[in-house]
Amino acid sequence: MASSNMPYAVRAYERRRLADALRKMILIRKFEEAAEASYMRGLIHGTMHLSIGQEASAVGSCMSLEERDKITSTHRGHGHCLARGADLGRMFAEFFGKETGYCRGRGGSMHIADVERGNLGANGIVGGGLPIAVGSALSAKRLGTGAVTVCFFGDGANNEGAFHESLNMAAIWKLPVVFVCENNLYGMSMSTDRSTAVGNISERAAAYSMPGATVDGNDFSAVAEAVDAAVARARAGEGPSLVENMTYRLRGHSRSDRNRYRTKQEIDDWAKRDPITRLFGMLVSHGVMAEGDMAELDGDAARKIDDALAFAASSPDPKVEEAAFYVYAGSGAR
Amino acid sequence: MPVEVIMPKVDMDMASGKILAWHVSAGDEVSKGDPLFDIETDKAAMEVESPGDGILRFPVDEGAVVQIGRPVGWIYADGEVASDPPGGIPSSKDEFRQSVPGEATADGSRNNISSGPDNISGKFRASPLARSLARADGFEIATIVGTGPRGRIEAKDVRNYQARRESEADTSDALAVSESASGTGTPIILLHGFASDAKSWTRLESNLGQRPLVRMELPGHGRSQILKAVGFPDLAATVRQTFDGLNLDKAHLIGHSLGGALLLDLANARPDLVASLTLIAPAGLGPEINGELLAGILRATRSESLGPWLKKLVADESLVTESYVQAAMRDRMEQSTRAAQEAMADALFPDGVQAFDLRAALARVEVPTRILWGKQDRMIQWNHALRAPGRVAIHLLDGIGHMPQIEAPEEVARIIEANL
Amino acid sequence: MSGRSERVRGKLSYAEAIREALDIAMDRDERVVLMGEDIGVYGGAFQVTGDLFGKYGPERVIDTPISELGGAGVAIGAAMTGLRPVFEFQFSDFAALAMEQIVNQAAKLRYMLGGAVSVPVVMRFPAGSGTGAAAQHSQSIEAWLGHVPGLKVVQPSTPEDAKGLLLSAIEDPDPVMIFEHKLLYKTKGHVPRGHYETPIGEAALRRIGHSLTIVATSIMARKSLSAAEELARQGIHADVIDLRSIRPIDRETVLASVRKTGRLMCVYEGVKTLGIGAEISAMVAESDAFDFLEAPIVRLGGAECPIPYNPELEKSVVPQEPDILEAARNLVQGRI
Ligand SMILES: Cc1ncc(C[n+]2csc(CCOP(=O)(O)OP(=O)(O)O)c2C)c(N)n1
Ligand SMILES: [Mg+2]
Repeated sequence: MASSNMPYAVRAYERRRLADALRKMILIRKFEEAAEASYMRGLIHGTMHLSIGQEASAVGSCMSLEERDKITSTHRGHGHCLARGADLGRMFAEFFGKETGYCRGRGGSMHIADVERGNLGANGIVGGGLPIAVGSALSAKRLGTGAVTVCFFGDGANNEGAFHESLNMAAIWKLPVVFVCENNLYGMSMSTDRSTAVGNISERAAAYSMPGATVDGNDFSAVAEAVDAAVARARAGEGPSLVENMTYRLRGHSRSDRNRYRTKQEIDDWAKRDPITRLFGMLVSHGVMAEGDMAELDGDAARKIDDALAFAASSPDPKVEEAAFYVYAGSGAR
Repeated sequence: MPVEVIMPKVDMDMASGKILAWHVSAGDEVSKGDPLFDIETDKAAMEVESPGDGILRFPVDEGAVVQIGRPVGWIYADGEVASDPPGGIPSSKDEFRQSVPGEATADGSRNNISSGPDNISGKFRASPLARSLARADGFEIATIVGTGPRGRIEAKDVRNYQARRESEADTSDALAVSESASGTGTPIILLHGFASDAKSWTRLESNLGQRPLVRMELPGHGRSQILKAVGFPDLAATVRQTFDGLNLDKAHLIGHSLGGALLLDLANARPDLVASLTLIAPAGLGPEINGELLAGILRATRSESLGPWLKKLVADESLVTESYVQAAMRDRMEQSTRAAQEAMADALFPDGVQAFDLRAALARVEVPTRILWGKQDRMIQWNHALRAPGRVAIHLLDGIGHMPQIEAPEEVARIIEANL
Repeated sequence: MSGRSERVRGKLSYAEAIREALDIAMDRDERVVLMGEDIGVYGGAFQVTGDLFGKYGPERVIDTPISELGGAGVAIGAAMTGLRPVFEFQFSDFAALAMEQIVNQAAKLRYMLGGAVSVPVVMRFPAGSGTGAAAQHSQSIEAWLGHVPGLKVVQPSTPEDAKGLLLSAIEDPDPVMIFEHKLLYKTKGHVPRGHYETPIGEAALRRIGHSLTIVATSIMARKSLSAAEELARQGIHADVIDLRSIRPIDRETVLASVRKTGRLMCVYEGVKTLGIGAEISAMVAESDAFDFLEAPIVRLGGAECPIPYNPELEKSVVPQEPDILEAARNLVQGRI
């Protein structure tokens, strides 16, 4: 049957949702390109970690999440944030250190959170989000909210003690959490070959008695299929899972990376497996979209980004006198 | 328990008051209702009466600014032991409300200078160094007035106090005093101006008739010794001390220039002992003074350079003859005299400005008071006289400079005589 | 006689001076190994280890996985048993992940075992704010470790000291924690050639004055020195003490200066409360130097909040040169 050969995504989602997913991936890409351009023009302080090339992992992993669900994110978290529908303007405003930013200019790119939409925050500490995700799942279970928490983390984080401790606790308490490892082959300069004793990180699931799967992280449909199943399992009260999305960051680790640990060839090869091109191709081949639609999608994203940049640029800076607001409850507005 | 003497609140928005002068000294006996000290606030000046009978102890220094309600001294009953000023409970709890250290301040400030009450009853702000200096010298630090922030006693205050005490000690009969051979009636006290001496009264004296005259001479002037401490409060204290030593029931005071300012201060401190006050071109009524002229006189080391400056002191310069200049220079030949006067000028008139202000004192003096001033005065402008309150008579002399007692002795004597 | 080339050597950056020290130590002692994240081919997050990987290879320049607790612990275990590891934290903030091994193991092993073992490990911590890296990558946590008996804690402020203190640390039989302010890495200065040791526990009097004593650490020593130049133009002459070592602390240098000036100001980037300034102040208050104080002690430290991201906010929460100037003037001119 033709239908059984159809990719999971085409089978599982309506056209509108598929188009939306593509639109989000394009938006993430354009957003990060614009952030990169602003960074290079000196408008952004500090450092930033771009997820260009990893958009399918972010968007595919959030397909079956509902409003009540939570995610924890990482230093490479713009995609996760946008996948959950964050406001572009407030994100740029945060990059620009503005009072209208998601963290009122106090956190920057590495700490963006959108708590209203269930994003408990990016994290400057590798592995820092793992126990927090387990805690979020614990409260969902105790409070009976039915919420599932998706915990994003990188391959590098799987060697922190927090990873192992978190998976174990999630498993012994059967908590509704999905561990999504975005394996982009490197933790900064260290390849997983050198850093990690197992071939696939998903093998580590066995040590904590939970299902583990490794999928092509640049294939939107494959990601969605694996994570949807894990979310369903979590929601059904059957406990945690570990999904490993094999992907690649096309940019350096941060803006100061000189790519000495990998080859140009490797980067070029991965560029050919661009998740956006692949999803678009799939949607065209299944008649969900037409070849000509790309230009419109691009234009759409570009307009949104221009508006967001304008909003951010014209926003006020936080007041220096208010630097110590929000240290404790009761200081500052919220 | 000793009776606490506090800085009273005498004005609605008064936060603190300045002790202008004590009418009694530490160790003196006072009775309830006796005038104890004078205070000055932003708006008013007034006398404060003793709240009890006994011996005054630990009075804060004159010139100190004290918050209202804080003690300025204690009155001990006879025989009550007074080793330390008594401690006390601060009258306001607020003083002990402190911010929690390390508390995140809402405004994010971090390096705010710690503030605190200006004073705590029975406690004295003093730097550790000041305390150890006082301890080494064996005196109670509380007897000193601090000039640091919030009245903190600092090392320099201790050192100044030590210097003052020393100079007081070796000049117990501080100022040279000369008295006229005879005379009847209330005596007249004469005090000359800066860089002058008692001889400057000679012309006036011969016109003053038969009253007993007492001439004081400023430290480092005439026959008075040189004092180490030379600020206005020190001088005023020395004048008071000398005056007290004379044991007069009443006196008329006539002072010229700086001498005028000092006798005005005396009249304010000893109102009951003063019959009248005559101020000739007095200092202390405004900041301006001719610094160049002062400096010129101080610098001169021979009559050629002194003469031209002396001429500026009078309107009719022919009065300053060569022999007058030579006599004046003879008095200034001693290098130590010149140095002493220079130190004094530096303290009293820094940068050519009068560093003391006696307008408030003048406002308080109630005895008949008059001011005489030459309209051609080139040292201090006569219009300072206009700052006097209405009850003070003002006599402006045309064609006269800074030295009316020399330039127009008969006229000056007539004005004074008419009012004695 | 030193040759001409000896004399014409240019200035080195702070990062280069550390690298030179590592190179010298590795060259003279086979037991010295480097450990840390991305210190190999990447050259270190701040390019401190640079090309040492090329020179000494992966056996001696060891990239660890992102495993701070384990990595630091491995270095400690190796130090107990014959190696001389120099462990680099990518940011000092990540010491928090390794606190167990640092505080419960490295610091206490010699003592708990009655002197039977030594833990000659060196740990390097890129520290401080000013890079826009926000709350989890900008802290100054030296006082945390300064609170632990068994550790030694130093904060070099110049390239010369960065090299000399690191060489001392490597020779030291006990665990030495070195805090390197990230903004110092690119600063340059004269660095003596060859092997030399800057003694741990000795402060440096960088400038002599009489009006006040400024005790500063790390980058604040630089800022204070520069402020002191300006103060001198205004007639205020500061003794500027670069503390260099916070455990042990050079008590005598501080007390002698305070006895002379009577006024003390502490400048440090760590959070003001319960920080280095508290220790220095207490040290003076507990000593005879107290009797020489003429004014309250002033502490300029970090605000009671995490380091914010926004650049203006970030600057506002740690002492800057104008703050030092103003505080020094207030202190000397009797406004506090
Ligand atoms: C505890 C901790 N150690 C080290 C770092 C520095 N650091 C930031 S990102 C990173 C690499 C993380 O690798 P990975 O988890 O694979 O995420 P990726 O950057 O590849 O997305 C490192 C070492 C950190 N932020 N936190
Ligand atoms: Mg990675």
